[in-house]
Amino acid sequence: MKFFPGCMIHNRFPGIERSLFFVFEKLGVEIFPLKGSSCCPAPSISKSVSVELWKEIGIRNVRLAKNETIMTACNGCYTSLHEISQIFNEGDIRHVVEYLHSEIGIERIKKSVEKRLPVRLAVHYGCHFFRPSKHKGFESPERPKMLDELVNAIGAESIDYKYKFMCCGGGGGVRAGATEVSHDLLERKMDAIAEKDVDAIVVMCPLCLNQFDVGQSELNELRGKDYRIPAVHYVQLLAVAMGMDVSLTGIERHSVIEQNFIEKLVRGES
Amino acid sequence: MADNANELNKCIQCGTCSASCFSGRVTALNTRKILMEHIAKKRSLGEFDTVWFCVTCYACQERCPRGIPLTDILISARNELVKEKGLPGRLKNAFKSLQENSALVPAKNEHIALRKELGLELYHSQFVDSARNEVGEIVRKYVGGIIK
Ligand code: SF4
Ligand code: SF4
Repeated sequence: MKFFPGCMIHNRFPGIERSLFFVFEKLGVEIFPLKGSSCCPAPSISKSVSVELWKEIGIRNVRLAKNETIMTACNGCYTSLHEISQIFNEGDIRHVVEYLHSEIGIERIKKSVEKRLPVRLAVHYGCHFFRPSKHKGFESPERPKMLDELVNAIGAESIDYKYKFMCCGGGGGVRAGATEVSHDLLERKMDAIAEKDVDAIVVMCPLCLNQFDVGQSELNELRGKDYRIPAVHYVQLLAVAMGMDVSLTGIERHSVIEQNFIEKLVRGES
Repeated sequence: MADNANELNKCIQCGTCSASCFSGRVTALNTRKILMEHIAKKRSLGEFDTVWFCVTCYACQERCPRGIPLTDILISARNELVKEKGLPGRLKNAFKSLQENSALVPAKNEHIALRKELGLELYHSQFVDSARNEVGEIVRKYVGGIIK
């Protein structure tokens, strides 16, 4: 199996990669970096400019794996490579969250946890994991439960909130092309999350993570909105629950850091 | 575009698409209007820049009772707009980076340092000359002219 990092994990949130390798080693699944792989390229924004470009760069990435399964941890990479592999009828593309949920299973995850994490989390799936559902064929694209179940499996609690299934505002090139719109969307989402007493936001995509983390700092600077709710990728939490040192997850290198949250992760359930 | 117009003829004007649009709540993006006025009637998108406010969340497409692939159609409308008017500034930079670095989001020194700190290799094509050039060539072939 090959790990496809994409730009956002390789070049922004490498702690996700470190965590993923730790988790797979613990689970006894062999996985290696897909060397020489490039930008996936990002689905909506690339297709907005040239579908041919999107397909040709994408299939190059798919073929690099020489028919081994490609594991992604990003909704954008997953969508691009998955759609392209269907178009060319080549390759096997997975997203780590659906892989953990369906291949490893909740029971085994529970058993592999060394330290339960007593944190309250706002779960955010991101748009492109389930939608458009005609390509993906998972459970309900309107109300998925996969990530909530995985969160509960490590001793954390998923707290429902308004706009849970709405976009974070990070996708479609809007963050780069119309930054204010992207901030407006994030602010709505953050206001809804802030109504609940949560320790952090948990996502399954580094682009969403960037929006909740870096975007949140921008909201603070530009609009005086000081939410202080850290955001993390699920595999970072899973790695900690399976015994990895918190410092290796890179969580302390995110933009929004709360000591209280870090301490809960370090301590675990007492 | 002709196919898109055919698809859009199936519309029953129920308004579900616009009602599902999170972006439409905070911007002037009006999914149904863009699609009907400017695509079905084959009018140019012209100054219709709100098409860039779509976050491509696929909520409208998923819920359309007529099964019209609305988001996909919006994305192809952007394609037309790019041909007419070029790329908005920061997106142009992103594609320049894709050509130069084979990454829409390239690593800077701080990110390279963090990878090293975490004991991770640098293996994205940005750091592998032959791979980076291969991808750069593909970008040049399709959008070299647009991002110059
Ligand atoms: S895909 Fe675009 S137009 Fe459709 S609901 Fe989402 S933001 Fe609105
Ligand atoms: S949801 Fe579909 S049928 Fe309803 S108005 Fe929008 S495009 Fe037309």
